[in-house]
Amino acid sequence: MKKIIIALLVLVSLSTFLFASGAKENESLTVYTGMLEEHGAIVCQAFEEATGIETNYVRMSGGEIFARIKAEQENPQASVWYGGGSLTFIEADRLGLLQHYVSPVATDFPKQFKDNNGAWTGIYSGYLGFIGDKEWLDENNLTLPQTWDDLLNPAYKGEIVMAHPGSSSTAYNALVTILQLKGEEEGWKYLQKLNQNVRQYTKSGSGGGRMIQLHETGLTIGYLHDGIAFKREGYDHMVMTAPADGTGYEVGAVGIIKNSPNQEAAKKFIDFVLTAEVQEMGQTVNALQFLTNPDAVPPEECQQLVGTKLIEQDDEWAGANRSAFVEKFNELTLTTPPTK
Amino acid sequence: METNHKENAATRYFRQLKFTMRDPILLITVGVVFIFVFMFIVFPLISILKESMISEGGFTLSNYWGILSSRFNRHIIGNTLKLGITVAIFGTVIAFLFAYSTTYLAIPHKKIFNILSIMPMISPPFVISLSVILLFGRSGLISYEVFHVRNDVYGFWGLALTQTLSFFPIGYLMLRNLLQNIDPSVEEASQALGANRWKVFTTVTLPLMLPGLANAMLLIFIQSLADFGNAIVIGGNYTTMAVQIYQQGIGSYDMAGATALAVILLMISLLAYYIQNGVIGKKSYVTVTGKVAKERILIDNKKVTIPAYATCLMICIFVLSLYALVPIGAFVRLWGADYSFTMKWIIYVFTIGRKYIVDTTILALIATPIAGTLGMVSAFLIVRKAFPGRTFVEWSILMAIALPGTVIGLGYVLTYNSGPIILTGTGFILIMALVVRSFPVGTRSGIAALKQIDPSIEEAATISGANSSKVFRSITLPLIKPVFFSSLLYSFIRGMTLVSTIIFLVSANWQMLTVAIMNQVDQGLYGAANAYCLVLILLVATVMVIMKLLLRLFKIDINGDL
Repeated sequence: MKKIIIALLVLVSLSTFLFASGAKENESLTVYTGMLEEHGAIVCQAFEEATGIETNYVRMSGGEIFARIKAEQENPQASVWYGGGSLTFIEADRLGLLQHYVSPVATDFPKQFKDNNGAWTGIYSGYLGFIGDKEWLDENNLTLPQTWDDLLNPAYKGEIVMAHPGSSSTAYNALVTILQLKGEEEGWKYLQKLNQNVRQYTKSGSGGGRMIQLHETGLTIGYLHDGIAFKREGYDHMVMTAPADGTGYEVGAVGIIKNSPNQEAAKKFIDFVLTAEVQEMGQTVNALQFLTNPDAVPPEECQQLVGTKLIEQDDEWAGANRSAFVEKFNELTLTTPPTK
Repeated sequence: METNHKENAATRYFRQLKFTMRDPILLITVGVVFIFVFMFIVFPLISILKESMISEGGFTLSNYWGILSSRFNRHIIGNTLKLGITVAIFGTVIAFLFAYSTTYLAIPHKKIFNILSIMPMISPPFVISLSVILLFGRSGLISYEVFHVRNDVYGFWGLALTQTLSFFPIGYLMLRNLLQNIDPSVEEASQALGANRWKVFTTVTLPLMLPGLANAMLLIFIQSLADFGNAIVIGGNYTTMAVQIYQQGIGSYDMAGATALAVILLMISLLAYYIQNGVIGKKSYVTVTGKVAKERILIDNKKVTIPAYATCLMICIFVLSLYALVPIGAFVRLWGADYSFTMKWIIYVFTIGRKYIVDTTILALIATPIAGTLGMVSAFLIVRKAFPGRTFVEWSILMAIALPGTVIGLGYVLTYNSGPIILTGTGFILIMALVVRSFPVGTRSGIAALKQIDPSIEEAATISGANSSKVFRSITLPLIKPVFFSSLLYSFIRGMTLVSTIIFLVSANWQMLTVAIMNQVDQGLYGAANAYCLVLILLVATVMVIMKLLLRLFKIDINGDL
């Protein structure tokens, strides 16, 4: 047993070596990114090349980044939060997790794409809409729904997939879009009816798009740029449209984590990713959203969505009512379980 | 007797303490186990309890009340229990079938059965779910392309199927070792006394297996409860607690509610353990030596072997078909749209993903021996040694597998991100997370194996003057060697495939492969996800082969294959 103990001790001390590498070097910058993996990688690399600051990233979903920053608030491990819906940033700012920084690069950005106090600044925006499987639609002599009310068509019964507002910011955005478009009372009635047609509530906002990708379902509500990206990759059966009666949008944002190390480098990073040049890099890795920098040229694929009717979004209201709305949604979908 | 039981507890405690103090090596070992258990199980757990009970500076149970008063949450708790029990029953039955067939029956292809039945452990859980969807879903290669059925796999049965496939291998590894440890002479004696095969099976083999079966069932039940990967991919509208915890904590930013739900989940696991312990724990299942004295005469009755063989074969073919998708998926350009050959994903994995691969391998390799040793040592201490705090250690170790990974990972961040000891961002905390998530299985199988062995041999050695270390090294370890090596293997596999625990612990310095795979699945890049999985499976397979060769080199007989 002595030998075993010695071996154990050696191993434990060996692993403490890895300790050392955990110590933060002053010159390096850590980024939590909610962008596509490749997107985060190329942007961090470009920043490293441009400034000489060693930049590392960890890729997580927006909700995971939020939870992690909150858990780490006593001793932040990363300095920049790059990519994630602005609603999540607003929530984080409410808890005092963000360091405000008004970037000079964002001066000309439209006001809906940035926070006045600099808690977050927009990097892209995307519209909610309907994505469908053309093969399935053709097989059943159906067309894509053109308005939110079209979704209630009994022909779509058991074919609509959307994410759950409790776990996905995409779905929560859809929920509040409906409530804002129809008014709260009518909105909930609508959601109850829609529930009859819904086959499944996925956990992640992109889940519906992935199910269309694999012909697992006929229709989904999601961000149109996800569908466009799949299509560009070669999934030709995916078709999409924005509802004619108006739709919601998300703003993807970037911000600095409060009390984090190396804030000067973090500010440089923010300025860097807001430039037209860096925003345009997304297209090379299939990130096909609209860009927030007025000088940036959005991806060609976005042109089809120019002119989409957008609703007047009240993000403060949406954020403040979140738990109440999700709770109500939970009860509502439980009372009438989706039927096929 | 009953009346002086209480006052005895205190005296017993001090007597145990005295005995422990007398044996310095035992003392050190117990100390190391205690420190580990406190640092990496108990403290993080306390952080979680604190998170769930303290809001705005004050103590509150409102989070718990909130959960129990919501019909939605009660429904989810019911879902989780129903699923856990179903999976535990099916999983244990399949595990036993495989273990019994490969050790007791004269059937061909045992080696293949062995390897294939461990396969589901080699990959991150959601690979199975994903394959099931791709093969048997609405547009599945088999369900639709071959049989033209629009099959909906999402929901209870899809989830029960994938969880059973994911978790029966743990039960199998455990039961196989136990069966190998049963001395055939016991059964032969019973046969010589006139019992037929069935009678031998029901009166000798099965009773000897009871602690193992109960243990396997408990482990599978707990793993099903804590499983997140399968549930999120294939659960559909059938929401389980592990998913709801994630949804509430990550999706709704309500960590307090999520941790409260996690504590309830933990209570359910502990209750299951308590029941299992109460039913099985009190009876004795020792064989005299524990060491197999002779070769077992395999059963060759066709009425038994043919159905057993056919069932194993069918399950193996099923598993194989799920895994065949991985290498195919790694080399096709676009799953579902363009099946032309490409090296693109492999190149992607070795450029963007190189750090993931290297880091994961290093961390898993360091964690494996620690977990393997810790598992055996703790099992030995729990079963054989009377030391103060023994029950506490046993329960704490169990808690380490009962908690959903996301929560335990969060507990680590809450505990070690600030304060006297800061570990976040290091490889060390990842290693400890891997150890904590894998060694309890070693402990459970070690306990089951040791309970089969009569302590009198060890007592004899102690009386003859051997200290704890000598007894452990020259008596106990050789007796439980097969269990030790399978728990090493399990630890490595687990280290390579763990997902939810480490999602909050990976840092820019240390990354893990499974997180990369999850990111790819999340983005719908199935080619890249499959390529990562392929690399991961090949890495694990390589390590398995090397381990086997080393064992052969050192002439260590582990009664069968890895």
